[in-house]
Amino acid sequence: MVDVSQASGAEGPAISMRSRLSPYALPIFLIALIAVSGIVSPAFLSTSNISNMLLQVAPLGIVVIGQAFVIILRGLDLSVSSVMATAAVIATGFSGQNSDVLSILLIAVGIGIATGLVNGWLVTKRSVSPFLATLATMIVLQGFRFAYTQGAPSGNVPPLFRLIGSATWHGVPYNMMLLVVLAIVFGVVLAKSRFGREVYITGGSPTTARLLGINADRVTIIGYVISGALAAIAGLVLSGYVGIVDNWVGRGFELDSIVAAVMGGISLSGGQGGILGGLFGAAILVVVFNAVLLFGLPVQLQIIIKGMVIVLAAAFYVRRRI
Amino acid sequence: MTALAPIRLSSRLRANQGVLVVAALLVILLIFGAFISDRFRTTSNILNIFEQSTGLALVSLGQTLAILTGGIDLSVGSMISLLSTLTSGLIAGKVSMVLPVAIGILLLGLLIGICNGLLIIWLRVHPLIVTLGMSAVLQGIVLLYSLGPAGSVPPSFNFLAYGKVLGLPIGAVFILVLFLLVALFLRYARLGRYIYAVGDDEVGARLMGLPRARVMLTVYGFSGFCCGLTAIYLTSRFSVGQPYTGLNYTLASITPVVVGGTLLSGGKGGVFGTLLGVYLVSLINNVLNFMDVSTHYQLIAQGLIVIAAVSIYVEKKKRV
Repeated sequence: MVDVSQASGAEGPAISMRSRLSPYALPIFLIALIAVSGIVSPAFLSTSNISNMLLQVAPLGIVVIGQAFVIILRGLDLSVSSVMATAAVIATGFSGQNSDVLSILLIAVGIGIATGLVNGWLVTKRSVSPFLATLATMIVLQGFRFAYTQGAPSGNVPPLFRLIGSATWHGVPYNMMLLVVLAIVFGVVLAKSRFGREVYITGGSPTTARLLGINADRVTIIGYVISGALAAIAGLVLSGYVGIVDNWVGRGFELDSIVAAVMGGISLSGGQGGILGGLFGAAILVVVFNAVLLFGLPVQLQIIIKGMVIVLAAAFYVRRRI
Repeated sequence: MTALAPIRLSSRLRANQGVLVVAALLVILLIFGAFISDRFRTTSNILNIFEQSTGLALVSLGQTLAILTGGIDLSVGSMISLLSTLTSGLIAGKVSMVLPVAIGILLLGLLIGICNGLLIIWLRVHPLIVTLGMSAVLQGIVLLYSLGPAGSVPPSFNFLAYGKVLGLPIGAVFILVLFLLVALFLRYARLGRYIYAVGDDEVGARLMGLPRARVMLTVYGFSGFCCGLTAIYLTSRFSVGQPYTGLNYTLASITPVVVGGTLLSGGKGGVFGTLLGVYLVSLINNVLNFMDVSTHYQLIAQGLIVIAAVSIYVEKKKRV
């Protein structure tokens, strides 16, 4: 089989220095960020603030895992926020009792998978650029959601989702445990399985993938399906965190998840990066947002920082060509 | 010579197949609309459609040029929000401020667009990412400036949106002139040809020594300028700007471009197709209004139109 580490080692000496540094750069940056924030504002390191940040990392982290698959496949998924909001609306669409949890889960994940299938079909079979395909499905899903809720969703989130989304066990949030489980499962799939190798090869060089007899279309479609399904799960977790659901739960997560992934070294030109890096990116983003609030700066700065970070991170990892 | 003519004509027809389909759809929709409602058939409704398409036409014009180079401008939505909020915020009801502010807004749009172009050239990051980042930055800035509708404009300012020359809406006439000028520029100016060359084969264009930097600055600067025009028009129409005015314009501006047959991979298409695309989208919305379809379903329709359009024009080249 083709060894992916060898394939990326063939880039030449110019970027090997940078790529050797980057595995340590993210943890060091995160620790430095936490240290500086703690010095500037002691409240940052209080137990309640830390557990609050941990609660916020999980929904974003779950979306980032799915986004990682899609970006490594040279795509990107803008429909995640719409899938999240739809899942959250579904969560309140029933009686609000635990007995409905299974139906909610099946319907929400089903919608996520269906969205992923449409995205994947458009991107592979119709050669639509990923951002436009996922932007269009995002809008269509949004329209269906508005039509379904008639603009004003109501109802309660089942207690089990409230528990997973916002409760802690000895200081560790349940949603963090869910994130860790999902990260390990999908991390192993991506790094160790045959399918994972096919993802890297397809994203790195579609021509190579074809020559090796990989069914690139199938691999890509599965990537979008994973992203859609995980976005649905993240939407349910987030609905449990916020408790009340409106039509815009998860708004901004499409950009946040892409920023986190790119910051974590998952290159938009495909074939590079891993889930751990993406999760570090998500953690850094949550810490930065939290620091902005804690320092008493205007909330709007969060959006501005996000915009600058995505451009700078993409520039940092850009593959120099020609 | 004469033997060559039919071949050229047929290949031209094939290249413009999409435009013909759009034109046919326009006619079908007009007939359909005339059947479902008497009020649809009135001159005032037809003028209404032209009037309503002005904002979309302006922003889509800039978007077309960006897409022709193989790029995209995702910052148009936030830019329109920022510029329209600034327009009414800075005019603040004073007639004497109208002209200076309008000129300032157009220059600011041009400047932001040029910033997009410079970042794309310097950082060598795909336009998609640069303009996505710029979009977030601009949205943050406009929310820092104002969280709701800002300022006001003098009543006479709505002349731009509702005024008429020789019985025709000013905006619609302006659009036709502007599209014609840009079409001539793309066809006959050297820089206009370079826009197609860069979009068709970027590496080849670079090897030939074409001024890619100048092309990028031109198209993104122009797109920013068009956002300035859109912002002024929308402020005139709604008599106030607010921080989410432009929210839906990012996807909306791409829809007519792809419907009009301009490929997202660049190098193929033109502004004429975009104009037909703009009229088609406006007509569809108008017909849906007459059918009493709620805005939720209009949203679904818009998404489906994009999906249908991009699935019909299959792109054989690289993906964004």
